[in-house]
Amino acid sequence: MDFETLLSYEWGVMMPEFIILGVAVALSLIDLFMPENRSRRLLGLFAFVGVAVSFVSLLGLWTSDVTSILGDTFRLDSFAKSFKALLLIGSALVLLLALHYEPKERIAYRGEFYYLFLTALLGAMMMTSSGDLITLFIGLELLSLSSYILVAIRKKHTLANEAALKYVITGSIATAITLFGMSYIFGFTGSTNIKEIAGQLASTYDENHQYILSLAFLLTFVGLSFKLAAAPFHMWAPDVYQGATTPVVSFLSVVSKTAGFVIVLRVIVSVFAQTPSGSSASMLMTLAPYIAFLAGATMIIGNTIALRQRNVKRMLAYSSVAHAGYVLVALASLSMFMFEAIWFYLLAYLFMTIGAFAILQVVSQHHDDEDVSIFAGLYRRSPLMAIAMTIFLLSLAGIPGTAGFIGKMNIFLGAFVVEPAHYVLASIMVVTTVVSYVYYFGIFVQMFFRPVEHTHRLEWPPGVIAVVVICVIGTVLLGVFPNIAYDFLAPFEHFSDFLQ
Amino acid sequence: MMENAWLIPLFPFVSFVVLLVVGKQLKERSAYVGMLLTLLSLVFALGALYERWTSPTYKQAYTWLTIGDVDITVGFEVNALNALMLVVVSLVSFLVHTYAKGYMHGDERFPVFYAYLGLFTFAMLGLVVSPNLLQTYIFWELVGLGSFLLIGFYFYKEEAKAAAKKAFIMTRIGDVGLLIGMILLFLEVKSFEYEAIFAALQQGDVSTTIMTLSAILIFIGAIGKSGQFPLHTWLPDAMEGPTPVSALIHAATMVAAGVYLVATLFPLYEASEVAMTTVAYVGGFTAIFAASIGLVQTDIKRVLAYSTVSQLGYMMLALGSAGYVAGVFHLMTHAFFKALLFLAAGSVIHAVHTQNIEQMGGLWEKMKWTAPLFLIGTLAISGFPFFSGFFSKDEILIAAWTHGHVGLFVVAVIAAFFTAFYMFRLFFLVFAGEARTNVHNVHESPTVMVLPMIVLGVLAVVSGYVQTPWGAFLGEWLTEGTNWHAHTEGPSWIMIVATIVSLCGIALAWLIYGKRAIARDWLSSRFPLTYNVLMNKYYIDEFYGLTVIRAASFISLLFEYIDRFLVEGLAQLFAATARGVGRIGSRLQNGQVQMYGTVTIVALAILVVIFAVTGGYL
Repeated sequence: MDFETLLSYEWGVMMPEFIILGVAVALSLIDLFMPENRSRRLLGLFAFVGVAVSFVSLLGLWTSDVTSILGDTFRLDSFAKSFKALLLIGSALVLLLALHYEPKERIAYRGEFYYLFLTALLGAMMMTSSGDLITLFIGLELLSLSSYILVAIRKKHTLANEAALKYVITGSIATAITLFGMSYIFGFTGSTNIKEIAGQLASTYDENHQYILSLAFLLTFVGLSFKLAAAPFHMWAPDVYQGATTPVVSFLSVVSKTAGFVIVLRVIVSVFAQTPSGSSASMLMTLAPYIAFLAGATMIIGNTIALRQRNVKRMLAYSSVAHAGYVLVALASLSMFMFEAIWFYLLAYLFMTIGAFAILQVVSQHHDDEDVSIFAGLYRRSPLMAIAMTIFLLSLAGIPGTAGFIGKMNIFLGAFVVEPAHYVLASIMVVTTVVSYVYYFGIFVQMFFRPVEHTHRLEWPPGVIAVVVICVIGTVLLGVFPNIAYDFLAPFEHFSDFLQ
Repeated sequence: MMENAWLIPLFPFVSFVVLLVVGKQLKERSAYVGMLLTLLSLVFALGALYERWTSPTYKQAYTWLTIGDVDITVGFEVNALNALMLVVVSLVSFLVHTYAKGYMHGDERFPVFYAYLGLFTFAMLGLVVSPNLLQTYIFWELVGLGSFLLIGFYFYKEEAKAAAKKAFIMTRIGDVGLLIGMILLFLEVKSFEYEAIFAALQQGDVSTTIMTLSAILIFIGAIGKSGQFPLHTWLPDAMEGPTPVSALIHAATMVAAGVYLVATLFPLYEASEVAMTTVAYVGGFTAIFAASIGLVQTDIKRVLAYSTVSQLGYMMLALGSAGYVAGVFHLMTHAFFKALLFLAAGSVIHAVHTQNIEQMGGLWEKMKWTAPLFLIGTLAISGFPFFSGFFSKDEILIAAWTHGHVGLFVVAVIAAFFTAFYMFRLFFLVFAGEARTNVHNVHESPTVMVLPMIVLGVLAVVSGYVQTPWGAFLGEWLTEGTNWHAHTEGPSWIMIVATIVSLCGIALAWLIYGKRAIARDWLSSRFPLTYNVLMNKYYIDEFYGLTVIRAASFISLLFEYIDRFLVEGLAQLFAATARGVGRIGSRLQNGQVQMYGTVTIVALAILVVIFAVTGGYL
């Protein structure tokens, strides 16, 4: 590749990534030369502004045509744009939370926190735009490695260290399995370019190949379920959530999970949706029962084990496992509106989860405890925050009038409209949703129906208030007028360019 | 007025929001905010009813969400059924708002109570104006949420907390049925609109299986909300809420929602014989089942709660016997007399500070207003001639008879006997005789509590005259433009039987609970010589006690055991399964990262083995 071709690329399409990269580099340099005793909050603000600017530049690209540069390794299509928006919104909100995170023991590596956060985000963004297995994998590793360190950022904290170690080990197993699966795909087609792989597989059909390809599918999918915190790779989630700081947990459960779905959709759908199969239209459809099986298991495991948790973070960890299960239902049913359903659900999930974590952060920081009883009498102490928390919990539980309900309904309808309809999966979804009321309402009961044990006033920093307000607006508005979100997807014509 | 019907639910919502924000400052003046706004709802509802009386149904809808080529709309509608419901709901809600001003006086969370009342009324009115299933479902859930908050209002009581949770989760179980039924119907018709659904039914576009299945699934939702067997257990427990709430929940709102839903979807049920029969039998069984339990309860509110369950069973029985008008008519009259009974019971509790009827008695003299009003309510619910319940119950019996449900007809007659008996047992124990415990300072409730009762008392008497054997105004109006019967002509002996049965129940209650008390007085003072004769009369009481009461209490005991062991047992089995799976799962979660890796690899291996065995084709 010579300099000419390099210049001929439309680098503008990578603008959001460049901004994040630039800010991350700048932050690491500033941090290096900044006196050690100076507050790092300025760096956080800088990072926040960086994410905001990147989001604006993304909006500038919103209606541009599908562009593919760097030999088809980087493509900006409607899928990339819409999911990047999710990642950036989620990251901006988490950064606002992080600005006000002040645990008892001082964190010495605040500067590191911000730029590692940005590199993790960069990895996730690269994944949305990857057209090649290699860049996809590099994005995944960039995200993973950054998040391992983010989990361990409280260096002197035993639980955090334990969590980080567990995260690294489980993550490595997952990576190994994923790579093993991908190696089959590569060995089969001799290419790492997703489009080329899809093309080759679509044109050849051989009974014997099916077998190995299916094996590749299973390995890749199981490996990738690590990032989703879906069964059978969900077990790290409670331990890591418990050990990590609240902003990191909200990053893991929102941004990192979204990135997980991005890579699953990129690899699984692009590679297998067009591959012919013996028994049905495509291999993806033949193999969908396996996804359905894992989705069902994920919903059951997440919701039932959450019943037994007293630690709110662990409970929310299992709840996030359960939500991954709901989204997998959409993937398993493969309806025509799968992308919209997943995107909308992740958007709703973003608002309700970050909102809940924002309130948890302040309350648990105040009590230096994460037991569910810290919410006792919150309605008396901070009525508005208790109402906000109620809205988030209702949305997580999928009660009508909230974004969570619309999201669930989309997925639910999706499971029914396809032929044959997924009755079993839909029933599991409904039953486990009912189970989930029990633990969400546990917090609800604490907030409204328990007497106040602590009378200290809770301090609500402005950043947290901003996050809560944004999340409440998002949750309620999308619950009442879901079309607002869908309007953003209008120029994309149901992601018709995804497979082009 | 009809084009402004969307405002009717909004007024209470405004009340909810206002009180949430400034309730703390307003203190007990919050009541005026709530009262004023529900009064506005009532005025608008009356306007809408008046206008709907002469003009056709009004409907307005806007596109809310577009999924593919399906438009989902929101809007509102005023038809005959919901115009009537709007008035009933807003009227009862307004009266409860007024009454609660006296009842809740001095409660430190007074404004919160009014805020919750506003939310609850909003949800119910919103449900009533909904022109499609999805919107109905949304408000349906909101009603559940409102009831959760209100039942758990005395949250410092452990029972109240448990009852609130139970009410929410039990009704949710029913809602699952509703949701699935609704979606099945949607997939078949491609619309949530009632109009579109009925049109498709008429053209025969809906397969019989789907029709029956969705009708029954939706009925399961109604079973949950309307406290029908076997999902009724939350309803008596819900008595833990403040009494005005019981009046609201049990008379015009929450529990009426289930009956209202079945009535709204009546064309769907009409089209499926199986679904109709299911509704009729569940209703009939619930009617007698709950009535027999009501015979032995000693808590004043619980007696009324079981009577609500039983009366709702009547309404379902009517709807299931093609008695559309009968069901809706009874829904209306019941709303009035049951609200009256609850408010009067609240007034009694307010005065004597106990709910145990064994500890009451002799209140007739002391509560000059409450006692006669309670009597009116009791007469109405017992089907005493020329009170409202008499006419509506008669319609139901006729419907059951003419539809050929002879067995259910007999059941309904027996349940009517039970009803008359236990209601008068309640009345005599509370108001007749002498005080059984020394309750001092028994006083009549303040005017603000008595006035709503008087209004309801009048309605409990006169509301029956809109639909009598001599003129079916209500029926003709409700069934305008349909082929349903405005009034079913039944043999005239049914009315006589109903009257006799009701009078027998009253007489028996009087003999056991009224007469005995009077006799004791009478005996000791004036006629000591007739002791033997009276002893014989006493034998009659004993005889009744041995036969009728023993049999009845055996039945009720049986049902109570079914209730406790079978129904609760199933509920617990479900809960235990969920907990058990959770326990196994959390045991694997032992904190050892080796275990995590093992679980993953084993799961992967299982998938691969399944794959290998099935050859990849599931």
